Amino acid sequence: MFFSLADPIVNFLIFGIIQGSIYALLAMGFSLVYGVGGILNQAHGAFYVIATYIFYWFFINLPVFGLLIGIIVALIITTLIGGLVYILLIKPLKDSHVGVVIVTFAFAFFIENLVGILVDKQYHDMPHLIPGYFEILGTSVPYHYLLVIGIAILLVVLITLFINKLKLGKSIRAVAQDAEAASLMGINVDRILAYTLMISAFLTSVAAVLNVPVDIVAPHIGWTILLNSFAIVVLGGLGSLSGSVLGAYIIAFARAYTNFFISPILSALIPIIVIVAMLVLRPRGILGKKEID
Amino acid sequence: MEKLNEKISGFPAYFKDWIKTFRGKVTVLCLIGLILLPLANPNPYIMGIFNTFMIYAIFAVSWDFLAGYVGQVSFGHAIFLGVSGYATAYIIKYFAWPWWSALLLGAVIAVLFGIIVGVPALRLKGPYLALGTLAMSLILYQLFLMGSLGIMWKNAFGTDLFGTDGLGQVPPISTNVDIQYYAILIIMCLSIAFLTHLVKSNIGTIFRAIRDDETGTSASGINTTKYKILAFLISGFFAGIAGGLYALRFSGVNPGVFQPLYSFYAIIMVAIGGIASLSGAALGAFIFVFLGEILRLLGDIPQLEVLGGFAEPIFIFSILLILIIRFAEHGLLGTLLEKLQSLWDIVLGR
Amino acid sequence: MGVILEVKNLTKKYSGLTAVNDMSFEVHRGEFTGLIGPNGAGKTTLFNLISGMEKPNSGVVRFDGYNITGMKPHKIVNLGIARTFQLVRSFKFMTLLDNISVSCLSPRGKKLAKEYGIDESASSILSAVGLVDKARIPPIILPHGDLRKLQIGKALGTNPKLLLLDEPFSGLTHEEQKGITDLIIKLHADGVSVFMTGHVLRELMNLVPRAIAMHQGKYITEGPPEEVARNKIVLEAYLGKGAEDLA
Repeated sequence: MFFSLADPIVNFLIFGIIQGSIYALLAMGFSLVYGVGGILNQAHGAFYVIATYIFYWFFINLPVFGLLIGIIVALIITTLIGGLVYILLIKPLKDSHVGVVIVTFAFAFFIENLVGILVDKQYHDMPHLIPGYFEILGTSVPYHYLLVIGIAILLVVLITLFINKLKLGKSIRAVAQDAEAASLMGINVDRILAYTLMISAFLTSVAAVLNVPVDIVAPHIGWTILLNSFAIVVLGGLGSLSGSVLGAYIIAFARAYTNFFISPILSALIPIIVIVAMLVLRPRGILGKKEID
Repeated sequence: MEKLNEKISGFPAYFKDWIKTFRGKVTVLCLIGLILLPLANPNPYIMGIFNTFMIYAIFAVSWDFLAGYVGQVSFGHAIFLGVSGYATAYIIKYFAWPWWSALLLGAVIAVLFGIIVGVPALRLKGPYLALGTLAMSLILYQLFLMGSLGIMWKNAFGTDLFGTDGLGQVPPISTNVDIQYYAILIIMCLSIAFLTHLVKSNIGTIFRAIRDDETGTSASGINTTKYKILAFLISGFFAGIAGGLYALRFSGVNPGVFQPLYSFYAIIMVAIGGIASLSGAALGAFIFVFLGEILRLLGDIPQLEVLGGFAEPIFIFSILLILIIRFAEHGLLGTLLEKLQSLWDIVLGR
Repeated sequence: MGVILEVKNLTKKYSGLTAVNDMSFEVHRGEFTGLIGPNGAGKTTLFNLISGMEKPNSGVVRFDGYNITGMKPHKIVNLGIARTFQLVRSFKFMTLLDNISVSCLSPRGKKLAKEYGIDESASSILSAVGLVDKARIPPIILPHGDLRKLQIGKALGTNPKLLLLDEPFSGLTHEEQKGITDLIIKLHADGVSVFMTGHVLRELMNLVPRAIAMHQGKYITEGPPEEVARNKIVLEAYLGKGAEDLA
């Protein structure tokens, strides 16, 4: 991920923007599921792993167009699995909050081990989606990074428009505000929750497809995804989409800053520092609404 | 003096009732079996598995106490396992303390780490404990994996701590396998006895009330935050004991013990044995350890290669947990026993 | 006759809705006071604000001289206010005795129970509310009337000076209502101040010497129930419900 050139400020900026964009996609999905269904989806990281491995499998097994087909299949399958997770695991346990958390937690392990068995347990790398570099500010930046930023911005805008303008999006918002009232208005809350999980899975799969060429393929990566998503939404406000985006960039830049200018060790500690600090100082997050007991 | 008598005579009352039940009798039989085991002179491998089971039993019971009796679910119990494991190992290796005092201090240090994320999470009403503890365990995992940190520490203090190698060559409780076995057995019994007494006491009533209806408990004048934190600390302490014993039994620890996997172990053990049953949790630990061992052995048999990697213990257990939670809410054993009971009733024509 | 509870300019807003709007009133020591208003008037929110389960946006609540505005619920209980809930709450999987014991284990409840022991005290409270023969049964299988009695018992365990009863008659048969009424009268005779809500006036009319009326979060009037029932705004508020409620 790092460049041959040593200018730490440019590194810092680029790292922050790229990481922030990926985090934003991940956090939005996580926050959405919590805001709409009150569910802290422990399988969030599992979605990332599923998309990653589907993508990777096509890449290594299909000589021509493996990358492209891998992306498409990964997005579709992961999104569908999001819906399946809702129908098979979450919905039957609607009354038991504890049950939902545990079953999605178990699912995360299931996926982590499944991909290890079906593919392998080694670390792998994948190439950038768009090869090549360009020069800016004296640094070589991969075109892939432009893709990441572009798609992230596009999706953030699309999701925001969707939530605010489209009928389905407004239904989602209604359920997020008050599920009982929404159901009285004729909204099928069940279906909305399923869609929400699918959207979350979709966003996560996009993030996976964009990030894997920059990161690695490994069965356990789901956990850091979950960890960072949680830290971001605690910072930005559980249930707030704009909070997720804001939190994503703040944490990304905080990690970048500590990584390049202080110490990589401190950078690794950022998520837990954020979580503890927010829970103590302002549990609702920067942009979250006050929780009523 | 009167109070002491009162307390002592109070203890055997529920104990006497319990012994009369089917479950009580079975548990006592198992206990007798455990006590007599070394006399049968089993090989070290078998003793080792039993040691592992007893250590995991303490771990499972500590988690079940918190989740099943106080209603607080932690996904990061590995924190206590790891911190105490490392602390105990470190104190023995570099300060030459005796194993039992190192164990106690290790558990206390683990509790202090738990406080960092536990207290902020428990002060709030919200789903923060599960993920908060998971987050903490993941961070500790990353931290203890760092080779660079390991070098820094070595340069500063001259000792090993961080790094993928972990801390090794920790002397066991005793070179006499029987003594080690009985030490672990006694600690396990004391731990379970203590926690059982706790849940049967007045404080236990408060804990269960918090589990059933936290807001209602507040409305009854109880400071629920105080009690939740207390329960968390107690649970963490015993999980820490398990961690320290782990280091002693496996002659060391490595960063792996902080993985979400170990937190998951606690949950699966409790799910098998039945939530809100301390002896059930111990039984769940037994099944988990032995089933895991059987699966491991099965995977080694060349004729079963066709099973491929699917005989992987954790894979099977994750599926098992999903099935249990979906279909047998109160734990596999509880549901199995219920079904057996209804079958028995049908047979008897009731 | 002192003032035991004083509410001043209490307001609670949710996004778009003001549930309690600048309410001010007093409840007197040793008195039996009613709070009436149609469904949705804000009675339960008001109780939540007084008992600390919700924080007001503005205003003050004073109890027995203490400013308890925004205090944590358990602290308020330990100062001497206990409440019951409109939607019955109980510890579903614990015995009735244990349900009461929890209240007896609160700091305030313990002081009272110290002499006789927790179990004894919880038993005597169960007797007082007429449930002692069901001491070992969990609430989950009890009829509604018994659950309402249980709630009062749980409140009593904390040795309250002021009892807030939220719709204690809701969903009860005539028989059950009588049982609760007798219980409440006895408590009041023992010196506990009682502040209770109801949306059906008839029940309250015979019980309380004074009632406070609220509608849409606002204070309307107070006085003897017959007077309040004749108040123009109160009548308007209830008109949708049917005149027989006010007979």
